[in-house]
Amino acid sequence: MDVKFTRRDFLKLSIGSLVLSSLGINLEPVKAYAKELKIKNAKETTTICPYCSVGCGIIVYSKGGKVVNTEGDPDHVISRGKLCPKGASLYQLANNPTRLLKPLYRAPYSDKWKEVSWDWALDRIAKLVKKTRDKYFIYKNEKGQVVNRVEAIAHVGSAALDNEECYILQKFLRALGIVYIEHQARI
Amino acid sequence: MGRKALLITPELCIGCRACQVACKSWNNLPAEKTKNNGTHENPPDLSGYTYVKIRFIEKEVKGEVKWLFVRQSCMHCGEPACVQVCPVGAMQKDPETGIVFYDKSICIGCQACRSACPFDVPRYDKEGKISKCYMCIDRVKAGLEPACAKTCPTGAIKFGERDELIAQAKAEGFKVLYGEKELGGLGVIFALNREPAYYNLVENPKAPEKVVALGEMLKILVAKGIPINNSIIKEFLS
Repeated sequence: MDVKFTRRDFLKLSIGSLVLSSLGINLEPVKAYAKELKIKNAKETTTICPYCSVGCGIIVYSKGGKVVNTEGDPDHVISRGKLCPKGASLYQLANNPTRLLKPLYRAPYSDKWKEVSWDWALDRIAKLVKKTRDKYFIYKNEKGQVVNRVEAIAHVGSAALDNEECYILQKFLRALGIVYIEHQARI
Repeated sequence: MGRKALLITPELCIGCRACQVACKSWNNLPAEKTKNNGTHENPPDLSGYTYVKIRFIEKEVKGEVKWLFVRQSCMHCGEPACVQVCPVGAMQKDPETGIVFYDKSICIGCQACRSACPFDVPRYDKEGKISKCYMCIDRVKAGLEPACAKTCPTGAIKFGERDELIAQAKAEGFKVLYGEKELGGLGVIFALNREPAYYNLVENPKAPEKVVALGEMLKILVAKGIPINNSIIKEFLS
């Protein structure tokens, strides 16, 4: 909001204050409950809680690209502003000093985690998926019917996936020949 | 804006502790070390970094364990002893909403408020300054609900005009309204069906008798620049 103060407004205010103060009315603000509301003038972005499949609505308040607060969205049809403890802690997802910022890798038989780059981690995952798929790909079943499937890899999806993400994942997994496609909410 | 209150209904509470989390989130309070005390109740106690806590009370009813979830936080008394005793005016009661809040920048950390509190609520942060529930007065003044009441998924914490909440609880047939009359009427009211002691609530809470005198004494000490030792306060009240 753009508030413009003209000279005329200023004069009006000053005269008003003068009159009030001459009447002996205390113009000092009521003792401050000090802090300014931390979400004042913050940008509001609506989102869906990423945890379970209920899909509660959340408002993310940000200032200058930094998340300053998250809380339930009172206008959301599912949750009406209510959140469980996990959803209520969403602020921590963006602002937590212990949050992991890089992939960690624990080599087979190692007892230590080491930081690796995203490129390295994704390459390794891709290589291992290919290796396993090549090794265990089943062209035909016992009856000689063409099945083209991989039973050595399984996939567990998250409850927080949206329709479009599920669609892409299904395409990808079916293309690999994976048949064990599960969902977190069924475990 | 009339007097505000929180209406707590332990029977609706499922012990999810979203209120504890929402409170910490709004106030940017750090996590605390938890401890297994034999129940699921955690953190172990209120602290300068935990303003609200749900007590997990176990009761045996007909050979079965029944869980009671009762909120523990500042009760926002109608006649707050902490405000009367505070020698520097750091603890204040908002005349409009009845919320008992504080100004950390004035607090001298004498801990008189904790000694005066009938519910043993005030706690102190690492700098020794007062730190407790202030019913999100910043939010309330902006027309929002306190963080705990907003998040509560079952409606066990309701926020609103005090009179309306009391009328509502009475209409719903609750036998006991703890906090309706106590200490000038509390700002946190419990809708119960049994005696308050069953829920580990203090029956007939009373502020120490010498609170006003103690406040005056502390004011003189502060004016003269004499440091206040908490043991003096305890001795005076005993």
